[in-house]
Amino acid sequence: MTELTFWRTEVWHPLTVHFPIALLLFGTLAKLVALFLSSSSSSFYKKMGSVLLYFGCLGAWISIYTGDMADGIVSRKICDPTVLKDHEIAAYNLAYLFSAATLIDLAVLLNFLKVKLKLISALVVLLMVIGSGFLVYAGHLGAEVVYNQAGGVVIPSSDCAGF
Amino acid sequence: MLLISLMYACQEGTDVVESGTYQGTIKEVEPEKTEIYVETTDGKVLELYFNENTTLTRNGETAPFEELEEGGNVEVEVEKVGQRLEPIAVRIL
Repeated sequence: MTELTFWRTEVWHPLTVHFPIALLLFGTLAKLVALFLSSSSSSFYKKMGSVLLYFGCLGAWISIYTGDMADGIVSRKICDPTVLKDHEIAAYNLAYLFSAATLIDLAVLLNFLKVKLKLISALVVLLMVIGSGFLVYAGHLGAEVVYNQAGGVVIPSSDCAGF
Repeated sequence: MLLISLMYACQEGTDVVESGTYQGTIKEVEPEKTEIYVETTDGKVLELYFNENTTLTRNGETAPFEELEEGGNVEVEVEKVGQRLEPIAVRIL
C-alpha cells in the first residue's frame, strides 16, 4: 500500500480552524461578561475580549483560505456538497461580522470614535453574538461533512491492510 | 434577524437537479479548482467540479478548460450521485 502523506491539502483546514473557534467564542464571552460588570472591574474582560477578537478574526480568515483549498478536493468526493456550500456561506457570514466588530473595536481603541462609547461597545458585542451564532452553525455543518460524509478523511480498507 | 436575513440574501447557494442535460450561462469560473457555476435557463445554479471523465467540447472538438468564460453559454450533461452533480459533458455553445 502506498504510504499516505499526512500533510494533504485538505488537512490544513482542520489544523487551522479550531483556533479561531475557541478564540472567538471566548472573546464573545469575555465581552459579554464585561457588559454586566461595573466599569472599574470590566476593563480586564474588555481588553481580553478585544485581544481574543483580533487574533480570532485573523484566524477566521486564515481558516477560510485553508477551507477554500480543501473545498476543491472534498467537494468532489462527498455525497452532498450542498452541506459544504452552506458551511462556506456561514463561515463567510461569521468572518464579515467579526471583521466589522474588530474594525469598530479598533476604532474605539485608537480614539477614532469618541461618541456614545457604551452604545458602540454594545454594538460590538451584538455583532460578536450574532457572529458566534454563525460560528456554531458553521462548526455544526463542518462536523456533518466530516462525520456523516467522511469529508477529507481517508477510510482504511476493512482488513486494515497497510497498518 | 434583519441582518441575518440580509447576509443570507447576499450569498447564493447552489441547486441540485436530476440527471440530464441542461443549458445555461456560466456565472463563475474557478480555474485552479477546474470548477464552474452554471445558471440554467430556469434559474437554478449548478456547481460543477470537472473530473477526469468530464469532456469539454466546442463544435464537437475537444476544448481546453481555459476556453470557459463568465457569461458564456454552455450545455451540460450531469449525473446526480447522491446530492452531488458529476459533469459528464460540457459543450460550449
